[in-house]
Formats: sequence, structure tokens, C-alpha cells
Amino acid sequence: MLPPRPSDVFSLPRCGDCSTFHFYPKPACTKCGGAKLAWAAASGGGSVYSFSVVHRAPSPAFKEQVPYVIAIVKTDEGPHLLSRIVGVAPEAVKIGMRLRARMDEGRPVFEAG
Amino acid sequence: MNAVIAGVGESALGRTPGQDARDLQRAAALAALEDAGLRLAEVDGLLTTPIRVANWAMPVGMVAQALGIRPGYLATLDVAGASGTAMVHHAAMAVATGQASTVLCVAGQNQLTNVSRDATVLQLAGVGWAHPEYEAPYGPLIPTLYALVAQRHMHEYGTTPQQLAEVAVAIRGHAALNPLAQMRTPITAADVLGSRMITTPLHLLDCAIVSDGAAAFVVTSRKDVRKRPVSILGQGYGFTHAYIGEHDAIATTGAVQSGRDAFRMAGVTPADIDLAQLYDCFTITVIAELEDLGFCPKGEGGRFVEGGRIRLGGELPVTTHGGLLSAVHPGLAGGMFHVVEAVRQLRGECGERQVKDAELALAHGNGGIIGLHCTLILGRG
Repeated sequence: MLPPRPSDVFSLPRCGDCSTFHFYPKPACTKCGGAKLAWAAASGGGSVYSFSVVHRAPSPAFKEQVPYVIAIVKTDEGPHLLSRIVGVAPEAVKIGMRLRARMDEGRPVFEAG
Repeated sequence: MNAVIAGVGESALGRTPGQDARDLQRAAALAALEDAGLRLAEVDGLLTTPIRVANWAMPVGMVAQALGIRPGYLATLDVAGASGTAMVHHAAMAVATGQASTVLCVAGQNQLTNVSRDATVLQLAGVGWAHPEYEAPYGPLIPTLYALVAQRHMHEYGTTPQQLAEVAVAIRGHAALNPLAQMRTPITAADVLGSRMITTPLHLLDCAIVSDGAAAFVVTSRKDVRKRPVSILGQGYGFTHAYIGEHDAIATTGAVQSGRDAFRMAGVTPADIDLAQLYDCFTITVIAELEDLGFCPKGEGGRFVEGGRIRLGGELPVTTHGGLLSAVHPGLAGGMFHVVEAVRQLRGECGERQVKDAELALAHGNGGIIGLHCTLILGRG
């Protein structure tokens, strides 16, 4: 099992044997079966694979934040991950748009980049 | 032993205050047995699904106790929204191995009156469809996870919000002809597109309803049943991912595999199917399933639903009971109603919404966020 995700640098699990990047963390590399997965710093670059502007909050904790943009980001390393796009007007978000990761309270969010 | 579906039934549906999950399931079970012309004492196998509104440590034990039976085969099945179609297959396997001769499949709960709609939204978020550590903290709704599929499908294939709306309109039109359906007032595309935006591009009317209700069916090898039985001709499963973020091509679903296997086993093709009881948790789900099951080429689902093609009287009537979008959606049992309707259509019992000369029906379940699929092909016995 991997240790907790590094909170200061955007990282993805990488196989120590075949260097394949993964997300989400898995017990072993799904490409070569190697068990030496470790968090490795990623470039932080990526693009919008898909997105949705949320207008109805899933719980009271998110009520103040609507509307906000949830996206699936295709990282330059390959893996997809679900995240938030911040600092971009929701109506300006487009599939294919370039993004850059920034750590926010220990989690990656993405800005235009 | 050759298993058939000999009876189907349901409880009161919609809003059923004063009835808990056991009351609803018992009512559905007795209705299905009555339909089959069998007695509770003749049931020697039992299948159910977990429920969400109460903390049942061993769901099938709770149901057996509520029914007062001691079956020789029993299991709780959970492949999420695919459970309804998968139950038929599991019951048929129990009959085929000789473990049971008559398997009662029953599930349902008071999802609507036990909890408020807000509580349902919160409760679903807590089930873990979004990864608790890597997705949920960003605040996606369950509909958001499907909206991501819709947005990508629109991007890749040019699918439009109007085409998504047509799915809701067609299925509501079917619900309007089903006296048991919860939402029976016909709607237009303008109603769908004008309903509240939940999570782009999905409006309120692109999303399933929340209901109380239970469904049941009886799978048996017995020949002395009351009505003409329905044959189980083929089934298939398809799995692509646990979390939507782990799926590299989200506009395509595991229905590709489940459909291929089911059609191969049944020895028929999509062109042979008279009606398709597609899982319709969201409008996009239906469009993706139409493509992935092979009713049209990949990417053509949006155009396929136009021109009344999926409405009653069209080339391929889809989800003729009104589905999860308009008829009933009490949680994991939601997909069972697709099977119940397929059986009634094949028996010619659907009155105003009867598909003429229906001989072959497909019923399809989708679990998780388009991650796990189970396709069933049924034939007039």
C-alpha cells in the first residue's frame, strides 16, 4: 500500500519496474504486475478531458461554492484524474484546454496553463 | 434444468408512507408468486440486493425472515444498477445446478418517504460512487459523474442537449401509459431544457426520479405455472472501471462486452430485438447503451433517438414502462422493473403501451458510473 499522497508537490504513483504512471493508486502495476509503486512528482501539465459545471451542491459544505467546475484532467504523464478547475470562468472551460496543477490544501486543483 | 421466468410483480410504487422495505418486498413477492400461480411455500431459492435506507447486516436473511421462508439456496447480489438483470441470470444458474427449483428474486425499499430528497443526495454521495479520497472532496454529485460522460460524448460525437432531452421525453411518454408510473404528465424537449440545470449538461429532467417500491420475479424449472413462461436466451456482463476517473474512454461503456456476449449466447442480433429495456438513470446512459449494444454505430446514438425511433410505435421502443427517469427508481431494485416490463411485453399484457407482436426483448442494467453492465435477452416462451 502506498503512503499518503504528498501534499506539497503534484504527484502520481509510478511503477518502479516499468516506470508507468498510474491513478488511482493500486496495489500493483496494472501493466507489468510490479509491486514497487511509489509517488513520483509529475510535471503538473495536462488538459481538460471532460468537465461539468455543478449548480446544485451535493452537501451543505459546498453550497457557498456553486457554480464550480469539476473536470477529468488528462495528465501529460497519461493518467486521468478527477479534480477542480479554478480561476477560470465556468463558461470559458473547453475540452482540450491546457491546464497546470497547483496544490491546494494538500490536493491538486488545476488552473489555465 | 431449463429455467424460465414464470411470474413478475411489484408493490405499490411512488410514495408509500407507512411501508418499510420489508412490507414493500413482501407485497412484490406475493404479487409475483400469484402471477406465476405458485405459493410462498414452494419457493426454495431466494435472491435480493442490499438496501440503503436501513442498515441490514445480512439482507437476504432479513428478506427470508420477512417472508417466513427457509430456502435451500439464498444470496444477496450486488452489482449495483446491474443487479436487476443479473438476478435473473443468478437465479437461472441456481436452477440449472439443481440447487433450487423455484427462485424468488425480490428487492426494493422506501427510498422516497424514508428520507428527504436532500438526504438521498447526501446518502448516495456517501455510498462511494465518487472515490472518497480522490474524487468526493472536490464536490461532484452522482449526476456530475454522468455529466462528465455526457460532455465527452457531445465533444466526440456531436451529441446535443436536444437529443438527450428526447430520451427523457420518449420515456415520459411511455410512463404516461403506465398506470403504476410515478411521473405520468407528458413533457416536451423544451420542458427538459428549461428545467433546472443540475450539473452541465444535465438538467433536472435528464436525471432519474426517487421512489418507494419493490419488484419481484420468479425463476423456475416447474412446468405447472399459471401463465406462458418467458425464456432466458442470453446474458452477458461487461466491466471497465470502478471509478469514472479510472476509465480512459468514458464515452464508451462495458455494454460493448455485455451486449456482445448476450447476443452471441442468444444467437440473435440487435436487429431482431422488438423492444429494449435500457437502464436510464440519466438520459446519456440510454444513448451510450444504444451504441454500445449495437443498435446503431458508435457515436450515432444521439441521431438514433430522433424522429420517434425509441418511442412506442418507433423502430425500437425503449424502456416502455417509463424507466428510472419517470416510472420508478427505489435504488438497487430500479433495474428489476426493466425485467418485469420485458416479461409483460413478451406476454402481451401491456395494454395501451403494448409493443405489437413482441417476441424478443433486451433488458439491460448499468452499475456504478457506467462501470459494470449486465445484458439479458428474453424471448416469448
